[in-house]
Amino acid sequence: MTDKDRINRNEPSRDYYLRAEGITKVYSNGTVALKEADLEIHRGEIIGLLGENGAGKTTFTKILSGLLPPTKGRVISPRGSVRFKSPREALSFGIGMVYQHFALVGTFNAAENVALSHDHPFSPIQLTATKKKLEQLMEESGLRVPLDVPVEKLAVGEQQRVEILKVLSRDVDLLILDEPTSVLTPLEVDELFALLRRLKDAGKSIILITHKLKEVGSVTDRVVVLRHGEMVGDVPTAQASTEQLAQLMVGKALDEEANAVELQDKGLPTAERERANVRTEQPVLEVSGLTVKGNTGEVAVDNLSFEVYGGEIFGVAGVEGNGQSELVEALTGLRSAEKGKASINGKNILGLDPREIYMLGVAHIPEDRWRLGLVLPFTLAENAILGVQRWDEFRGPMSFLRWGKVNQHVRELMKRFEIRATGPSAPAKSLSGGNQQKLIVGRELAKDPHIVVASQPTRGLDIGAAKYIRDLLVEMRNKGRAILLVSADLDEVLALSDRIAIMYEGKFMTIASPKDLDRETIGMLMGGAAVKEGAV
Amino acid sequence: MSQGLTETVPQKEKLVRRTLTGFNPAIESLLAAAVGLIIGAILMLVWGYNPWKAYAALLQGAYGDAYGWASSAARGVPLILTALTFSICVRAGMFNIGAEGQVYMGAVAAVAVGYFVLPAGLHLIVGLIFAMIAGAIWSLGPAILRLTRGVNEVISTIMFNWIARFLTFYMVAFVLVDPLRGEKTISIPVSARFPVLIRGTDLSWSIFAAVAFAIVIYFVLWHTVTGYEVRAAGLNPSAARYGGIKSKRTMLMAFVLGGLGAGLAGATIVMGNPPTYAIISGMPQLMNAGFDGMAVAMVGRNHPIGIIFASLFFGGLTAGGRTMQFTAGVPLEMVRVVEGVIVLTMAIPELIRVFRVMRSSWDRLMSVLRRRSA
Repeated sequence: MTDKDRINRNEPSRDYYLRAEGITKVYSNGTVALKEADLEIHRGEIIGLLGENGAGKTTFTKILSGLLPPTKGRVISPRGSVRFKSPREALSFGIGMVYQHFALVGTFNAAENVALSHDHPFSPIQLTATKKKLEQLMEESGLRVPLDVPVEKLAVGEQQRVEILKVLSRDVDLLILDEPTSVLTPLEVDELFALLRRLKDAGKSIILITHKLKEVGSVTDRVVVLRHGEMVGDVPTAQASTEQLAQLMVGKALDEEANAVELQDKGLPTAERERANVRTEQPVLEVSGLTVKGNTGEVAVDNLSFEVYGGEIFGVAGVEGNGQSELVEALTGLRSAEKGKASINGKNILGLDPREIYMLGVAHIPEDRWRLGLVLPFTLAENAILGVQRWDEFRGPMSFLRWGKVNQHVRELMKRFEIRATGPSAPAKSLSGGNQQKLIVGRELAKDPHIVVASQPTRGLDIGAAKYIRDLLVEMRNKGRAILLVSADLDEVLALSDRIAIMYEGKFMTIASPKDLDRETIGMLMGGAAVKEGAV
Repeated sequence: MSQGLTETVPQKEKLVRRTLTGFNPAIESLLAAAVGLIIGAILMLVWGYNPWKAYAALLQGAYGDAYGWASSAARGVPLILTALTFSICVRAGMFNIGAEGQVYMGAVAAVAVGYFVLPAGLHLIVGLIFAMIAGAIWSLGPAILRLTRGVNEVISTIMFNWIARFLTFYMVAFVLVDPLRGEKTISIPVSARFPVLIRGTDLSWSIFAAVAFAIVIYFVLWHTVTGYEVRAAGLNPSAARYGGIKSKRTMLMAFVLGGLGAGLAGATIVMGNPPTYAIISGMPQLMNAGFDGMAVAMVGRNHPIGIIFASLFFGGLTAGGRTMQFTAGVPLEMVRVVEGVIVLTMAIPELIRVFRVMRSSWDRLMSVLRRRSA
């Protein structure tokens, strides 16, 4: 990244609270999560840390809070260099983090949960002291939670307040919140922001990790943008326009040539491919007014309507957690829908179980190949028939499995989809990630489906395997099959799709051809910002 | 992410390694057995017994001659079946400890069939079928509670064990009681008994029923679609659901199959175990058959074939334990101590991690050797 991208970098000053210098993190599998990231944190400011999935936001804050050691670089305070070996050390220094997934004991009440983070949580003295401290804290911060109720009985917003109180009770100076608003109702969000402002006025520093542009504008003083592990922007919120931030977040479209090189690096097709127009007259998948609830009962998919035709790739882009998973699960029978209709070739699929949906011609490449796609201790052969184990080809009299036929099928899959393994009896967990995914994709495409629902099909794969799988999807499209592609990898969706939907908080912000969308618009839509008239 | 397949490894070493991994479960079981015996020896030393003499006697009694083998096998027969009950449910992802109660119900049903008058052979088969059905029905209770109300099977099977126990006490004392001898039930008529296999021992043809059941279970689990679905749902319920497998169906299947096995175990005890062929009040022969089966299942690594060998081992401990008692003067309870330590050894996950460390150091050793030879 060139220096001109780093807008308005603040001059180093003496009165900082903490400074991260040249933080680089390389994970043991070779992934570079952070490259030379610098950040200066002052007392009494709210910093918004903005970025897409995998931009390095969480890694950066994990390093600050002592959960991960940096590969290179250092964190210094005015008192000198600091290096935390554990979150506990960071906490006693004054840095506390509130994670997206709460670490609360459901049957304990708020006071007991807070006491847990102290040394002798079960001593009555500690508990009384904690209670007293909490009451005082609640007085000061205006943050109110019932102290005597088991936390599992509290609303999600209240549970989050318990988490915040837990951290505040350790007298922290720097509070890091990881996507705190993703589980909150709008009213709870307002309350949270009011609280953050009060804490700021009390001299605390706050880092707010988010991908929502609106939130950045409403509460932060300064915005730091991360992209692919690099700090690409550090601007006062007042000077930053939403468009500018959106562009920083998803990256600027480079000139044509550089763009081609970059795409090739990622194994994506470079130019507009020869695309046969094979789109069918009738839609294969029709969805109307679909509403699906998430795990915590919130509305995850909100009154969604769209069609996917044969011979097209319909891409769903967006930051993860905006309802994509719930949409896919509802369409494949893994989650029940609240309202609405969905049909394959005119036949209703809501309320059916996964096998019945598969019988209607739906193949599903699941987003989590270890949890859903594979039974890891099973062999290659056993995994290759998951979902099709009742095919007549494999099922003899008295429901005997024809292992001969199964093994033959697996060998064909291995050859056709270039799955590298010692043989059909190799355990699935001995395969590399790419080969595991090829096994799943091969198994699903062998069903010869009308529609392929592919969720994050290339996540975590090396370029070769990712390219191979993308080519397979395009091949299926050219054969006239419908593809519903859900991916957090924006480049992938842009390069593969015939039509793109940008999903935000359970709704499609737009459905358009990738040619008609520039990256700035996409960034804004992904961040939930309204687009100017005529921009789409 | 494992980049497991290393193409550079020489062919021969790959073979050795694969064989070792294949045997790993067996090796772990053998190690656990060894640890159990060693700790047993230490305890004997502490209490002033001679462990060498004790173990020599145990070995002699269990496997020293045909009589020893026969009585070891005879004691192993019900253990094969109750171990299968436990294993099938483990494979289906459940912890079913209801074999004990199902054994009682199987035994009661088998004795009840003793009232029938049927030709030899047919009488035996009818008895076995009744016993198996009784076991399966008894396991339906916890199954239905689990599938409809989500009641944890550990709790419900424990409760059903107690109900079965006192129901059997009642049946033995009042319903099936021998009118001439109040301390036991009527004896199974000769027409419904398993013939003795080796004259002068208590090993009967029941061993074939047990082994046949183990083989059937092996084929059901590894060679039928239903078994495939049971195992898939046990290993990864989410993936199974994704694959269109109904986990309620596989759970019910596992409960019923297990119940059939435990019921059969009850039948082998009363129909194939000379000289009583009846339930004696207090049920000394039935007691713990189900619980011991869990230990056998663990050592047999929840595999039907492994369970057959493990049953022979546990049967040998019991059979040889008696010899140990009267030749070396070591109390029979010591055998229970050894069994307990073996189960603990198998159950401690920490130890499995130790095995893993051992494996990785083995790998390191192999790589050093490879560098030497290169």
